[in-house]
Amino acid sequence: DRTAGRWRRDWDGKVSEIKKKIQSILPGGAWNPLYDTSHLPPEHSDVVIVGGGVLGLSVAYWLKKLEKRRGAIRVLVVERDHTYSQASTVLSIGGIHQQFSVPENIQLSLFSASFLRNINEYLAVVDAPPLDLQFNPLGYLLLASEKGAATMESNVRVQRQEGAKVCLMSPEQLRNKFPWINTEGVALASYGMENEGWFDPWCLLQGLRRKVQSMGVLFCQGEVTRFVSSSNHMKTTSGTEVTLKRIYEVHVKMDHSLEYQPVECAIVINAAGAWSGQVAELAGIGKGPPGTLQGTRLPVEPRKRYVYLWHCPQGPGLEAPLVTDISGAYFRREGLGNNYLGGLSPEEEPDPGNLEVDYGFFQDKVWPPLAQRVPAFETLKVRSAWAGYNDYNTFDQNGVVGPHPLVVNMYFAAGFSGHGLQQAPGVGRAVAEMVLEGHFQTIDLSPFLFSRFYLGEKIQEQVII
Amino acid sequence: MLKIIVPTIMLFPVTWYSNNSKIWINTTSYSLLISFMGLSFLNQPNNNSNNFSMNFFSDPLSSPLLILTMWLLPLMIMASQYHLKKEPWLRKKSYLSMLISLQMFLVMTFTANELILFYILFEATLIPTLIIITRWGNQTERLNAGLYFLFYTLIGSLPLLVALIHLQNSMGSLNLLTMNFWLKELPNSWSSNLLWMACIMAFMVKMPLYGFHLWLPKAHVEAPIAGSMVLAAVLLKLGGYGMMRITIILDPTTKAMAYPFLMLCLWGMIMTSSICLRQTDLKSLIAYSSVSHMALVIVAILIQTPWSFMGATALMIAHGLTSSMLFCLANSNYERIHSRTMLLARGLQTLLPLMATWWLLASLTNLALPPSINLIGELFVMMASFSWSNISIILMGLNMLITALYSLYMLITTQRGKPTFHTHNLNPSFTRENTLMSMHMLPLLFLTLNPKTILGPTLC
Repeated sequence: DRTAGRWRRDWDGKVSEIKKKIQSILPGGAWNPLYDTSHLPPEHSDVVIVGGGVLGLSVAYWLKKLEKRRGAIRVLVVERDHTYSQASTVLSIGGIHQQFSVPENIQLSLFSASFLRNINEYLAVVDAPPLDLQFNPLGYLLLASEKGAATMESNVRVQRQEGAKVCLMSPEQLRNKFPWINTEGVALASYGMENEGWFDPWCLLQGLRRKVQSMGVLFCQGEVTRFVSSSNHMKTTSGTEVTLKRIYEVHVKMDHSLEYQPVECAIVINAAGAWSGQVAELAGIGKGPPGTLQGTRLPVEPRKRYVYLWHCPQGPGLEAPLVTDISGAYFRREGLGNNYLGGLSPEEEPDPGNLEVDYGFFQDKVWPPLAQRVPAFETLKVRSAWAGYNDYNTFDQNGVVGPHPLVVNMYFAAGFSGHGLQQAPGVGRAVAEMVLEGHFQTIDLSPFLFSRFYLGEKIQEQVII
Repeated sequence: MLKIIVPTIMLFPVTWYSNNSKIWINTTSYSLLISFMGLSFLNQPNNNSNNFSMNFFSDPLSSPLLILTMWLLPLMIMASQYHLKKEPWLRKKSYLSMLISLQMFLVMTFTANELILFYILFEATLIPTLIIITRWGNQTERLNAGLYFLFYTLIGSLPLLVALIHLQNSMGSLNLLTMNFWLKELPNSWSSNLLWMACIMAFMVKMPLYGFHLWLPKAHVEAPIAGSMVLAAVLLKLGGYGMMRITIILDPTTKAMAYPFLMLCLWGMIMTSSICLRQTDLKSLIAYSSVSHMALVIVAILIQTPWSFMGATALMIAHGLTSSMLFCLANSNYERIHSRTMLLARGLQTLLPLMATWWLLASLTNLALPPSINLIGELFVMMASFSWSNISIILMGLNMLITALYSLYMLITTQRGKPTFHTHNLNPSFTRENTLMSMHMLPLLFLTLNPKTILGPTLC
């Protein structure tokens, strides 16, 4: 009978509700007699990490790994979108290379490479299958024209000093090694022989999530809407007045509702990727007369980048590295079916309001230089494309790490402008050392502190033209 | 006694009818005046007791505890000012009323001269404490903590009610003053064993004994500062005081029955001290240290020698002041950093030097540095337990070592080291906080000069 069936279903629902209530009342459960609060974050957490991408999870992992006693620090990771549909981590092409000119960047990438090689020792979880990062260690090939050859040589010298295994190749050697390259206009090329290549960022993200949850970090799906802070007016030793702020409460708003939970916290870590600038504004960073420390914003904004996937059966083949052309266009092999990924940093920035792809950009700007460099690409067929955000640092295109001088308990781990994924393990460890020890211990990232925006000290990569 | 009880009851109208801006100053100053009035109880002309009325008396055991209770109320009120700043007036006044009613019950408990009156007030103190923990505690776990606290103590003390009523029927009167004079030896039978268990379990759970101590870390950590202070300083001592009173009528069963509990205490002392070494939460560390110190008191009371009773009384007073001071210090940290984790508040000595002095003094008294009364208490207990059994000195010595280890660990982690970036803008110590700490420390230091006052009824 239909009514009896419905009654039975209602009864089952009621029984499960009663069971849930009893379970929450028993010791150990979070009990709220009025309504179910299991989706809300806890009322108190020592560290709140805003942003659950690879940088946020890396900071959480290293905080838990470097704490001296188990369970010392309570960490909460607040992530707005658990499907990661717009996160830069999963939309990136997953490349890792050491061919930077800033020594700290090289050290970070070297550490990340060793982290990724030993990932099943770092991120091992009991009874869980090991991770398969699909690391293709095929290297990066950077091409330089006459004008950029001198910069490339000095860069490679710095990289070799730091311990990266990079070699310089002349156009002759290039043609011998990679016969599919048209070396017209190329004066010098640098090729990374070890620890460079590409991997699956989604796998890294899931591995970190799994490990971090097993270490006791709490996750919460919500958006940080407000920071409640207390201010102190103090005087420096030279007599100037400063206002130091401390964030003591973070308001986390739930999806599709007005409900929010104030989380009392001691430390906030801003790892919100492309939206780090907005999160910093919430904390009051940048609200002041321009030119002062109070008025210095966090100059990170989202920039849209396109990645195109095409099929080309006569293409370069299995041993093709990730090639970066003089024009800035890049491509790499994807999978084993003659597919390639590639793109180009646009001169005119597209509107970052949405993630729609502009196929015209491929036709006009990406295909010609690629077809010129690799003649086989003249006949290719675009399969699909996607767009992702680049957390672009408008100041010097390098990351921001460490505490803010005025908002004393906000630490940054953001703004890496496209190489956040490959530097995440090293950056996470650096921020954790900063929080737990008070200084950088393994890799000294003091050039990456926030104060450089106020002092005007840029650490810029020497771009090879 | 009316000179204490009526002013304490009158503190209710003082809170409710004061001008809103003056409730703190009024209640603090009047409770301080009441505590000064209570100092006259220390005048014990002979080894007997002061009888105030048909219902209340005080003797050298209860008068130090009574004065400790009365001294603590102004300190609790001072400590609560900060975290209640943002609450509406009605809630502030309710909080103060809870503290005052707790005070009233505690004053009457320590001076009750009849065991059933003592029992009723003993249970009555649970209610304001439960309300303070569950309503004004910090986190969601406080509901759990309140549950543990209430039910552990209630279940432990219900057999005590049955036992007291049986004793009333068989002995005719449970008046503490006259109990000494018509003691009958308990017959050697199972029913006297059960009677012994029924009488002692309530106090064992309250002290707490190592096996029944689960409620204490929860309750102490989740309670607001005034709740933690009164729990650590006074409510635990209720157990000790009750045990010392009730063991008078439980001879000679105690000699045989006390063995398992003595073993649990000696072992539990070392266990809880070792747990302290692994703690990361500051309040949790102080809570476990309370369990460890109280285990010494239980050993002393179960051994039942004059020296051990002196040690127990001294240790109760000393621990009350020290533990309450440590909780106040931990709370001053929490109010600034908004976290109880020790690791996040390092290097405070360079930032808050005066508070570092208080931390140093509190840690030193916690580890029983000579010549503080903590040492006198521990020393007397150790000597008595050595004479009871030579081997216990190994355990006691080990406990003193581990106590020193964790007290210094707590001191060094919070005070020494490089201060972190997020401690750059700490508020300097308020005068209120410094007053609070000095009012804890000065009695401790002065009692070092004249420990006779707190050595209890068996001072020879």
